[in-house]
Amino acid sequence: MGRITPDEIIQAIMSQFGEAVKASEIKGVEARMDVDRGKSYEILLALKGMGFDYLNCVSSVDRIASGDLEAVYNLSSLNESAKAMVRVRVPREDPVIRSVVPIWSAANWHEREAFDLMGIRFDGHPDLRRILTSEDWVGHPLRKDYQDERLVPYEPA
Amino acid sequence: MEQTEIIEPFQETMEEMYVNMGPQHPSTHGVLRLMLKLDGEVVTEITPYIGYLHRCHEKIGENRIYTQVIPYTDRLDYLASMYNNFGYVLTVERLMGLQVPERAEYMRVILAEMQRIASHLIWMGTFGLDLGNFTIFMYCFREREKILDLFESVSGQRLNYSFYRIGGMPLDLPDSFLTDCKAFLEWFKPRLPEYDAVMTDNIIFQKRVQGIGKLDQKAAIDYAISGPMLRGSGIKWDLRRNDPYSIYDRFEFEVPVGSTGDVWDRYMVRRLEMAESVKIVEQALRDLPPGEIMGKVPKKLKPPAGDIYSRVESPRGELGFYVASDGSEKPYRYKVRSPAFVNLSVLPVIGAGHLVADMVAILGSIDIVLGEVDR
Repeated sequence: MGRITPDEIIQAIMSQFGEAVKASEIKGVEARMDVDRGKSYEILLALKGMGFDYLNCVSSVDRIASGDLEAVYNLSSLNESAKAMVRVRVPREDPVIRSVVPIWSAANWHEREAFDLMGIRFDGHPDLRRILTSEDWVGHPLRKDYQDERLVPYEPA
Repeated sequence: MEQTEIIEPFQETMEEMYVNMGPQHPSTHGVLRLMLKLDGEVVTEITPYIGYLHRCHEKIGENRIYTQVIPYTDRLDYLASMYNNFGYVLTVERLMGLQVPERAEYMRVILAEMQRIASHLIWMGTFGLDLGNFTIFMYCFREREKILDLFESVSGQRLNYSFYRIGGMPLDLPDSFLTDCKAFLEWFKPRLPEYDAVMTDNIIFQKRVQGIGKLDQKAAIDYAISGPMLRGSGIKWDLRRNDPYSIYDRFEFEVPVGSTGDVWDRYMVRRLEMAESVKIVEQALRDLPPGEIMGKVPKKLKPPAGDIYSRVESPRGELGFYVASDGSEKPYRYKVRSPAFVNLSVLPVIGAGHLVADMVAILGSIDIVLGEVDR
């Protein structure tokens, strides 16, 4: 356990991908990186090569203030104590990220969920269908500007 | 599986058939629809359709202040509400850097492990019911009822407790709790061999579950399987041990593992885990210190801007919460990584090639709660 430190992870990724890593931070045992979407797949693949065999979670965040959608990958390992968090931002007009299902099968349902609720499209996903809402649902409910005409705002009397 | 020979004239008309299992089906434990592609009686392909209980839990969370989210987490995995509370408050505490008093930590562990026993009991009972063993169902619910009585004496609720608070616990344990809880454990320990007599050692049950639904280690890691399902495949991985949170590093307990990763192994892991939970509760009751139960928490909870992913070992596996804060009093983004959701995604892999009747056993062994799958 714990052969690789978060610092080494960031160093290794930085030396290999350089400019694709926009920001990095170390929080406890976790290495956090904001990466460019063009290289996100390669970076995540490199992280798997470093021992991150376990994809905990793929989250999606609507960063509406900057007009972006964000995908957050949380990685860990069954052999290392270090963890990694990789954030990828994509513009709202063109929310496409390369799918990581070929790297971890676990990404399959997580990416479908992010597609369904946040509207991020994952390029190369084997089966990108809606998962939690029905097939004919319109829009992506977790976006901050999502509107549904059936929703009536609550007005205190 | 050997195919029996089919008489020639019929062979041309043999076609694969699609059968819907669910959404209303007793063995799906909720509303889950499985589209089964059948070749005779053998399932060749499984497509799960989920979302029947979807209520946009995460969107609701974004529109509530941090404390108000706690009651909603109860409804995720409604068989282990204490654990959902635990995972959520721990996440917010880590995000804010709050300290929790010693006594509250012990209370949390006691209640959480009692919850694990209750959850495994429900699982064992309904699993027996799925496979035609009604007796074990009655036994398990008898014991669970006593745990619910204990929880009721603590929190006033029997199912959705909302009993953890950010920074501590809201109420101290009632005076009767220590004696009642010890009495329960003493009464519960001899019950475990009873389950063995009625279920584990039952040759019909063994034949029914051994060798089906095998999940190998490589696939288990690839699909990020967690909890008893991962341990059933022989991987000794328990977050209480491998990534300790709260005060779990102070207790001695074993992490039971299986060997082949079939339904039987998953059954045995859960069966043995109950005894380990009893050990943890006993140690925690012994060491329970006096003192404060609520830490220093600001009136208005405003975590600093940033995000965090934090995980706990719920009865079903790795329960993770991803919370992104923008510095306001509501979470900017609140996401639940529910163990049952991830564990269910491997069903098409482990279920293909088995008989329809075995599907019930395989699905039961995953231990899904649709409340947290669909969120």
